[in-house]
Amino acid sequence: MRRYILKRLLTGILMVVISVALNFTLIRLAPGDPVKMIAGLDDPNPEQVRVLTEKYGLDKSIPEQFVIYIKDVLHGDFGYSYVNERPVLEVIGEKVVPTLMLSLTAMVLAVVLGTLIGVYAARKNGGPFDTIMCNMSYLFDSTPSFWLGLILMLVFASTLKWVPTSGMVNLRAPATGIGHVLDVMHHLILPVSTLVIVQFPYYFRIARSSVLQVMSEDFITTFRATGMKEKRIFNKYVMRNAIIPTITVVGNSLAFLISGTVYVETVFSWPGMGRLLYSSISKRDYPMLSGIYLIIALSVAVMMIIVDLVYSVIDPRIKYDE
Amino acid sequence: MALLELKNMNITYKVGKKRVFAVQDACMEIEEQDAVGIVGESGSGKSTLAMGVLRLLSPRIADIDGEVLYNGQDFLKLNEDELSKLRWKEISVVFQKSMNALSPVHKVGAQMEDVYRIHFPKASSEEVKKKIYDLFQIVNLSDRVYELYPHELSGGMMQRVSIALSLLFSPKLLVLDEATTALDVVTQGQILSEIMALQDKMKLTRMMITHDVSVVSSTCNKVVVMYAGRMMEQGYVTDVLVHPKHPYTQGLLRSFPSFTGAKSDLRGIPGSLPDLSIKPTGCVFADRCPHATDQCRSKLPEMRTVGNKWQVACHLAEGENNG
Repeated sequence: MRRYILKRLLTGILMVVISVALNFTLIRLAPGDPVKMIAGLDDPNPEQVRVLTEKYGLDKSIPEQFVIYIKDVLHGDFGYSYVNERPVLEVIGEKVVPTLMLSLTAMVLAVVLGTLIGVYAARKNGGPFDTIMCNMSYLFDSTPSFWLGLILMLVFASTLKWVPTSGMVNLRAPATGIGHVLDVMHHLILPVSTLVIVQFPYYFRIARSSVLQVMSEDFITTFRATGMKEKRIFNKYVMRNAIIPTITVVGNSLAFLISGTVYVETVFSWPGMGRLLYSSISKRDYPMLSGIYLIIALSVAVMMIIVDLVYSVIDPRIKYDE
Repeated sequence: MALLELKNMNITYKVGKKRVFAVQDACMEIEEQDAVGIVGESGSGKSTLAMGVLRLLSPRIADIDGEVLYNGQDFLKLNEDELSKLRWKEISVVFQKSMNALSPVHKVGAQMEDVYRIHFPKASSEEVKKKIYDLFQIVNLSDRVYELYPHELSGGMMQRVSIALSLLFSPKLLVLDEATTALDVVTQGQILSEIMALQDKMKLTRMMITHDVSVVSSTCNKVVVMYAGRMMEQGYVTDVLVHPKHPYTQGLLRSFPSFTGAKSDLRGIPGSLPDLSIKPTGCVFADRCPHATDQCRSKLPEMRTVGNKWQVACHLAEGENNG
């Protein structure tokens, strides 16, 4: 087990390095020039362009820039954002919390709701509830989150005025303490609902189909033949077997918690990582982008290792020590 | 009185609007401590018959009618609770694919313990453990298996686990549904001889479902030959498998190599199983029967007795009609 973890850590580091290198190169090869963005004019002063290019080290070759970047990162220096003129880590640190607040809440709700409803639908397989939920899951699965967000906003914020349209806090009436918490929660309702609605079909279908599949396994017939109560068969044997695929997909989605809500953050002006990523791309903020991609790669690598470890606990057929 | 008696049992699968007549008019008796083999090719309804007798077919997918008398009590009329009290204690099963007979993510011993507690919920864990260790010994498994997961066992070991599990409550009737089919011949031989030894020791009555005539001839006392959901011929192995009266039994026996017979004797039965969703007017085997007459195609043959407990459903077989 220890050897396996070590092996996974090494491959994880390799994966992070490769993805950072790829991102680093691709952003710089893509059309667009950050210096022109910063200079801000259609016809900037050549002197200013030269100074800025040198200042950011963009006059050096890409491999050279990469070596410098890696050296700095290893020293804990992720560089300065061109646009914000602040350390990259500081900006990311500010945006990570709102994003996690949004995406983690939505994911937990989607997983719990989707799985519970999926399991229940599987038990009532073929019944009206099952049929309705299956159709709804197809409908919501094919609904774009930005469109749904706008529609919900139109109905519940603009027309009914139950919830605020966008943002994370009411800028006109800043509150502190418990008032601030309630204000944020109030602002969370719409974006979280949007995410839950588009994400729940995924967990619903995984849970439903995996319960149905386990129910048709031979060992279920064995337990039925022994006279075991249907409830016990379900709660003890079906659930334990059927939960494994759900763990897989939850693990995979965990890895994308900090980057997967770009559309919804944009629609609801949520001050999170998704919007930061979007604006950094459009402004060619190289250090910011490299920093974000590095964080995403790291979180994917860490989550994958955690999922593998959870697996070995849940499924005895998976063993890592050879 | 027979331990188990089937009277005109029909099992019909419901597939959408279609009806598949998987078992038709099954009549048979199993005496206490007897060993009865049910043979037939794939799709002949042998396993369906067993599943029907055990009431393991959901009413959603299959209709069952007729009578299944166990010690004179009709199994098909019991409610779920009454049935649960009899399950495994009176009748237990060893299933076709024993590799999948237990949950892959729970330990073998824990699952057997769980089954034991269905009928003895207050049993102490030492008592349960001892019972299971004893059974392991009977089927030649080491105690180690208790702490293992199903995937850590070989096919033969899992088969032994399944047998041990089936003997947990010393049942009267043991149903073996293709229990040794997936094993290599050496392991199959070992397990069959173990089962026969157990049968004497534990006074079991055995119903053995297989497509392997040689397994029946070497381990059973009586045999029932099924084809397309119908019983073609039944009686003592020494009669039916030695001097078969039904053309289907004859054909089935000719498709197996004999140990001493000439190689040229090996022949299959041309044709394939009929569509089970259409009820034929005559004999179900008529289309493939080399001796079929007009009568065979127009009139369903009834079971007639041709010897001591020897019955044949064929117009061409001679004997008294007891239909």
